[in-house]
Amino acid sequence: MAVAPGGRYREGVKSMAQIVSPPPQETQEAPFWRAVWGYVFDVRFLGVLGQIGFILLVILGARAIGGNFAANASKLGEAQFICRDGSFSYRCAYDFMSSEAGFDISDTVLDYVNTDSYWYAFYLGILNTLKVALLGVVLTTIVGTFAGIARLSTNWLIAKLALWYVELMRNTPLLIQLFFIYFGVILALPEIGKAIKPFGLPIFLSNRGLNIPAPHLTSSAAAWMAFLVLGIVQFQVLWVLLGRREERTGRPSNRFRWGVVSFLAVVLIGWFISGAVSDNQGLLVTKSSRIRELDNLEKIMLQRTGLNHLDDLDTLSEEEIAAVAFQVCVLRDSASEPNLTRQLRRMGLPYKVIRTDRADQATKKYVEGNCEAFAAPKSVLAAERSTLENPSSHIIVAIKERPVVWSVPAHEGFNVIGGSKLLPEFTALLLGLVLFYGGSLAEIVRAGILSVSKGQSEAARALGLTEGQRLQLIVLPQALRVIIPPLIGVFLSLAKDTSLGIAIGFPDMYNVSFTTMNQSGRTLQLFVLMMLVYMLISLVFSVLLNWYNDKTKLVER
Amino acid sequence: MTAMVESLTELRGSFGRGFNWQLFLQDNVTGSVYQMIWIAILTGITAAYTVSKFNSVPLSTSIILVAWVIGILMVVIGELAHRHSTASRWLKENLLSSVSNTLLTLFLSLFILSLARSIWLWAYVNANFNPAETAPEFQRADGATWGVVWGARKLLLTGLLEPEHSWRVFLALIFIVGLWAINYAINRPGLRDKTKRVRQLVVGLWLLSPVILYIFLAGVSAEGPFVKLSTLLTGAALLVAAYALFVWQKVIQFRWSGLAVWALAWPLAYVAWRAVGRSGVFPPLNVDNWGGLLLTLIVASSVIVLSFPLGMILALGRRSQVYGIPTWIVWPVAIIATIWGFTTTPQLLAEGRNTIEKLFAFWPILIVVATYFFQRYFQGNVVAGASTTFIELVRSVPLITLLFMGIIMAPFFFGEGISIAKPWPVIVGYTLFSSAYMAEVIRGGLQAIPKGQFEAADALGFNTLQKMRFIILPQALRIVIPAIVGQFIGAFKSSSLVSIVGLFDLLGIQRAILSNPQWLGLRKELYVVLAIVYFLGSSVMSAYSRRLEVRLGLGER
Repeated sequence: MAVAPGGRYREGVKSMAQIVSPPPQETQEAPFWRAVWGYVFDVRFLGVLGQIGFILLVILGARAIGGNFAANASKLGEAQFICRDGSFSYRCAYDFMSSEAGFDISDTVLDYVNTDSYWYAFYLGILNTLKVALLGVVLTTIVGTFAGIARLSTNWLIAKLALWYVELMRNTPLLIQLFFIYFGVILALPEIGKAIKPFGLPIFLSNRGLNIPAPHLTSSAAAWMAFLVLGIVQFQVLWVLLGRREERTGRPSNRFRWGVVSFLAVVLIGWFISGAVSDNQGLLVTKSSRIRELDNLEKIMLQRTGLNHLDDLDTLSEEEIAAVAFQVCVLRDSASEPNLTRQLRRMGLPYKVIRTDRADQATKKYVEGNCEAFAAPKSVLAAERSTLENPSSHIIVAIKERPVVWSVPAHEGFNVIGGSKLLPEFTALLLGLVLFYGGSLAEIVRAGILSVSKGQSEAARALGLTEGQRLQLIVLPQALRVIIPPLIGVFLSLAKDTSLGIAIGFPDMYNVSFTTMNQSGRTLQLFVLMMLVYMLISLVFSVLLNWYNDKTKLVER
Repeated sequence: MTAMVESLTELRGSFGRGFNWQLFLQDNVTGSVYQMIWIAILTGITAAYTVSKFNSVPLSTSIILVAWVIGILMVVIGELAHRHSTASRWLKENLLSSVSNTLLTLFLSLFILSLARSIWLWAYVNANFNPAETAPEFQRADGATWGVVWGARKLLLTGLLEPEHSWRVFLALIFIVGLWAINYAINRPGLRDKTKRVRQLVVGLWLLSPVILYIFLAGVSAEGPFVKLSTLLTGAALLVAAYALFVWQKVIQFRWSGLAVWALAWPLAYVAWRAVGRSGVFPPLNVDNWGGLLLTLIVASSVIVLSFPLGMILALGRRSQVYGIPTWIVWPVAIIATIWGFTTTPQLLAEGRNTIEKLFAFWPILIVVATYFFQRYFQGNVVAGASTTFIELVRSVPLITLLFMGIIMAPFFFGEGISIAKPWPVIVGYTLFSSAYMAEVIRGGLQAIPKGQFEAADALGFNTLQKMRFIILPQALRIVIPAIVGQFIGAFKSSSLVSIVGLFDLLGIQRAILSNPQWLGLRKELYVVLAIVYFLGSSVMSAYSRRLEVRLGLGER
């Protein structure tokens, strides 16, 4: 502001003060009623009065609705608040949740039978919701990032294809997409006997869902996990120490590479140690079978076939091989099976696996002579052995195990066994959510990348940074600031839209609650419960993401 | 002639000059290990895909391949000769800019070709368009049966509405299209100044259109008195009071004609309403029979129309800076309430059956906690507190919980005897949901207004209402038009969720269609048609928004 010369400026200030400050004598002479009038018609006073009135109105309204509800609750659902002893009390609202659920859940993370309680069913529903939400968030990030970058591709075809993908996803309702994927695509796949194997990979696509290879954890996996944690800790320690050295000496060291190398070393050592130390896996065989360790099998097989070397097995016909194959009983979907068969395959032994659902069935088959051995964790075998007629004539042979065994799906008759099974409902819901929100995310990512000015990239290139460095150090950190706030909204919507699983029969929390509601008639209780869980999920999601946002956002001066 | 020869000579001299094989390879293939791996993988996949496509559809694949090779030749010759035609330059920049892009182009064109081909075969070549031949015995696995769309047109358009009421839907359609047409015509630049009176009339009709459409589509009951004096007077008094408030706050100018309009609006409308009801031209029809596109449009437009003002109120409430209830009132009241609450504790403690119930005996602590947070974050501002709580609570639960709550919980609150047609509670629940999101959008606009605008309005002596009406809202709403239209599109698309709660909207009516033996199993066809309808609706809205943005000069100022 330009300062006017000398006295004028001071005069100006004086006159302003005169205008602004009210003449003092007027308030002194104002009559009492005028002062009261002034207070009453003060905006603040009226405002506060209005707010108090609003609170009272809310309380009265809640009372009216609550009273209406209480009157109706006793009429509409006599059973709503009935205790076990038959009395009526609001504190018994959730008692029914401890009773037997009685309905089946097609897809569960943990074991479940329909005699478990409603609480447990509800808990499994929450786990399913979280499973879809978390997997969805991860996959959506990948799909959305790819699509967003593809929108900016220099290749005209890629850009147009991505544009159409985004437009199609954003302009049609999610529900129709879900229905289309579920009824039109997944249920229209061939039945499981004729499952499609894309590109000859061990992935089975059928109308019963998706069978994919999956890691199975054996009992020594826990020990190996400890090594994994150790590896992460030492990575962090190394990162900090090398960073300090860098600062001290001024010489750059490749912190990331050294960290990864040492992490891998620790993990690898852990792999062998935990595999060698553990002896949980066992094989139940008769004493007369002369099997004392797995390596004996080779000799036995040679005797059976009369061959000199196992490589000569090729000379035998398929029937002959099937006749001499080592028959072993296992529990369905247990880690023991892939662990044993992997070793048998490595030794080149022909084998046949007989799967049963329960341990006592396997033992029965073993006693009947359907299988020569029973492979399971030692504790299971010891228990089963003690049920046999003559326990001392059977022995448990230790088998080496790996912390994690890879289980690959394969055809067995008209079914596919092994690996991990993704049911059609789960697959459809996940796919639908990921594709839909991938489209939304693509636009966010595109906007984020476009928000970084071209000069930044050009400057990075001029400095001689590689393309990877340019993206990692210059573009992404700036783009992320723009991307993350709307990203939070997308992820929250995704987590909430898992509730659409009910439309295609995926047993998420909403679906389980709805079944419970229909069975028990306790609508209100379940609505309260459900809303609380959704609010909690939203809260946790947004707190985590906002924390990340605060970390990455631009620190303004 | 000589010129051409000269240019050819020149061309021969410069042909290929400046081209360096090593640099070309370094840029495209051998730049880094990753690039080499990427090119190798891409080449392998493209080659394998091309071969497999060539085996299945030789002719089209050959055409694409030849076009691809010609394109490459054009670009290479143009590049070596330093002379590009329009086509070759476009090809070079958009499709064949590098080796990896060239390979991707081939792969994607083959992919798009096969996709388009299978869609074409399914939707047209093998399709059956005859509405009479839709039963399962006429259906083909490789072709669509489009007859269902024509056959089920009535269900798709109006759902289960009785045919004798169809004319009312037509009337509504004619009314709204006609109003639109008139609106468009009188707002043409040439006519704009000459049609002031007509414009006022049209605005009035727009304001009345919800009521008129309600009369057409839902009907008015003939029962009830013709004139109910108390209703008439209450309505008129409320409107006059509102007029007085606006005049007092100087938002509108006082005019006797204005006062007359405001005072007479309600009585006149009420009498007209009753007259229509008495006349029996529009008897009430069963609202539960609404369905198809009609219901979708009703739900979507009601939600859009209602959620906008509600969202605006919530947004203003959340941002409001009214003087909060002073601490010297809040804390004493809270403490008294807490003490009063603790009088129930001994009894609750004695009755509690387990630890959780015993903990609930200390519920009055929650009053203290809530008061603390209320004071801390809202400084006693009830308006901001209530708005924020409502917005955040609604935003953290999925839409279908609110829809179900509307339907299932309504009888609990309104009593057993009152049965409410399903669409109404669904519209209410949906509006609450939508308005919370709308509030956040509008709040974004309010926050984008620079502080100086508020200060300038204050300096000019504007009161709150004037400030909002004349300074802030016109700017804020203009900023968020794209986002508001985005919300509208979302509301339109998400209206398909009402099918989950059992309404027969466009998506829900397919249940009725598919259960007809004549149309069994025609899911894909219906979903495709629905997707197209939604796609068109959303596209029209976003195109309109873009036009509006241009007209308002968004992003230019």
